[in-house]
Parts: sequence; C-alpha cells; structure tokens
Amino acid sequence: MEPLTINRKESRLRVAPEWADVCFTCGTCAGGCPITGIDGMDPRKAVRMAALGLDQELIDSRFPWICTLCGRCEYACPQGVEILKMLRRARGLRERDKVPGPIHKGVVMDLERGNNLGIPKDDFLFLLADLSKEMDEDDGLPGFYAPVDKKGANILVTVNSKEPFGEPDDMKFWWKIFYAAREDWTVPSEQWEGVNWGLFSGDDESMKTLVGRIVEHLERLECKTLLLPE
Amino acid sequence: MVSIFELLKEYIETGRIKLDKSIHKELTTVHDPCNYGRKGMKAFGEAFFEEPRWITQQCCENYVEMHPNRMNNFCCGAGGGAWAMPYEAERIYYGRVKAKQLMDTKAKMVIAPCHNCRDQIMKSLTKEFDLGIETKYLWELVADSLIIDPWTEEEIKKGNELREAQNEKNEVDLDQEW
Repeated sequence: MEPLTINRKESRLRVAPEWADVCFTCGTCAGGCPITGIDGMDPRKAVRMAALGLDQELIDSRFPWICTLCGRCEYACPQGVEILKMLRRARGLRERDKVPGPIHKGVVMDLERGNNLGIPKDDFLFLLADLSKEMDEDDGLPGFYAPVDKKGANILVTVNSKEPFGEPDDMKFWWKIFYAAREDWTVPSEQWEGVNWGLFSGDDESMKTLVGRIVEHLERLECKTLLLPE
Repeated sequence: MVSIFELLKEYIETGRIKLDKSIHKELTTVHDPCNYGRKGMKAFGEAFFEEPRWITQQCCENYVEMHPNRMNNFCCGAGGGAWAMPYEAERIYYGRVKAKQLMDTKAKMVIAPCHNCRDQIMKSLTKEFDLGIETKYLWELVADSLIIDPWTEEEIKKGNELREAQNEKNEVDLDQEW
C-alpha cells in the first residue's frame, strides 16, 4: 500500500491534516443528523474519511448526495469544522456525468436554453398571456397582465421553471399580491430561471454565469429591485 | 435585492395590502427552510426567522411552533436538490423527523416559505406519514387572505391596453389553435 500525503495542496477536498485534531469525534454532528446510519455513514465519519485522506472514496460515495446540505451538523459542531462546505465540495468533485438525477442536466439546460426545463420563449410568453387573460376574465382581477421585459419596473421577478412547466396556476399567488399592492413589476422574456441548481451540484462556475444573467437583466431593464421568489 | 419576507412585510406594514384573518381559522405552524435560516446566517449573517412567523400570524389567529426550530430546525428532507434526486426512500426516511415534528404540533396547516420544502411536505410526507395537514406557500397564504381594494375604471382600462399592446408586440395570439 502506497503512503498517502495529506495536506491542503494534495487533498482534493482541501482538508488540512490538522482537522484530525480539530474534530473531537464527539459525534454531535452525527447525533443530530436524520440520515446517520444510511450506508453505515454519518457526518462524523465523512470528516474522518477526509482527515485520513480518503477523499476519492468520499467523492464516489452516495453520502454527499443523500445529505441535504441542511447545515445542522456544521452549526452544532463545537469545533467549527466546516462539514457542510466539505460535503458540497465533494459534490463538486464528482465527474459531471455521474451527478445523480437531473441536477447537472438542468444546469446545462439552463446555460443553453435559459431555464432548467428548456421551456421555449414562445411557449412561455403564450402561457403568461393566457394566464393573464384568465386572471382578468375569470379570477375577478380586471385589468391584470403579467408585464414582460418592462423597462424601469420597480421589481424584477424570476420564475421557478417547475411552475410554467407543471403548476402554472401557482404563479398567480404572487400575481394576485402584486395586483392588490398595485406593484410595478416585470419578468424577463428569456433567461428568467430563478432556480440555480449549480448550488446543489457544487458547480460554482455555472452558478456565477447564471447569477450574472440576472444582474444583466436588472441593468438592461433598469429595475431597482430583484425579487427571487425561490 | 429583497427577499420575499421583506417585500410581504413591507406591503402589510405600509397598508399596501390588507389581509382577512377570518379565512384561515385552523391551527397553523411555520417550517423554517434551511436556506433562509441556518445557511443564510452562515453565508450572509442574516436569517429570516421572525418574518415568516409574523406574516403568517397576520393571516392566521391560531399559531403553534414546531420544536426544535429556527437555527436548530430539521430540514424537510428534500433540501440540496434531494427532491429531484433518485434517492426517494432515503428522502422519505430523512423526512420522518419533520413528519414527527409536524404531528406533535397537531396543526392542520403548515406554511412553507420555500418551493422545495413545500413539495416535500405536501406531495410526499403528508401521504407517507398520513399527516392530514394542508400545506401552503407563505405567499399562497397571503394571496388567499387578501382583501383586494378594487381597481378603478381607469386602472382597469390602462391594464387592458397595456396587456393588448404587449400581446401584439410579442405576437401572442390567444385564439390560436394548438
């Protein structure tokens, strides 16, 4: 067996060997974690793996993905070990084609087509117009419409793609509030996604690109305020 | 940038929206999403704990806390993208803790200020653990409690004109057959 070198430079998880001393192995993290025991794992063991140089084994395991990155372990840790940060980093080190489920595919879709589910612009605009008509005619909110790309609007609103895709009527909750408050708001016609799955796939680079788009919308449409109802 | 909490609170405090408390009479609790609580505190030094409770209580008279809550709250079980991931049994197992917390309150309605948490509680935990509880988004609760001050003829006319102009500009034909 080859000896392992463990330090900030060698370790893929960037866990310094002193973690082995910093972590008391008290198990406070594991005791408060709802998935302790699954696959024989828990946050304490994950920290131990990293401190012992088993980076790749942790990256390849299901644990960082079954963990919901809720951060309860890290908050409770008496020694300030950044468990959450480490587990998210383990996610980011997984080969992209081995990221479980649709999360990475959603990121790619968003980068290419402007939202996680690939909803085309025409369909989106038709849906907004159709729902606006319903609000005006059937829901007792006469004069309502969903303003698209409205320059100078007070608030720019992003959209969770699951709503136009599968639960379109749920968009009306906010619309109803805006109607009652007589808010001057708008939604971008393209690249309106408010759900940034890079946060979950550990993909900081894509995350930055997607956030940058929202900032561009704010500048282009001269909106003072961003509401990210996600 | 404003959070949904700050915006809703401002609307209510300044009287831009009015709410009817008599619509939701059932015992109601609030779930603390990790991202608006613990993780917000860690990343930005700011968490939204009191705002969702205050907003909820502007819509509901009967309120009950879950325990533990705020910084020690339990995740719904679907955070970190778990709602979309192929580990369904693990996600439900995780959620048993949230389900127990909800059951212990005896609440009939739970307010979720997060899309993910709402889906997990409403579409999964309620069924799996037979919770008999209604789930609403925070903004859904507010929308359902609104007393809307009717728009004037002029406001309606202006809205209709803007809507038609936008449909024309975007070439949206609502009579089109699909």
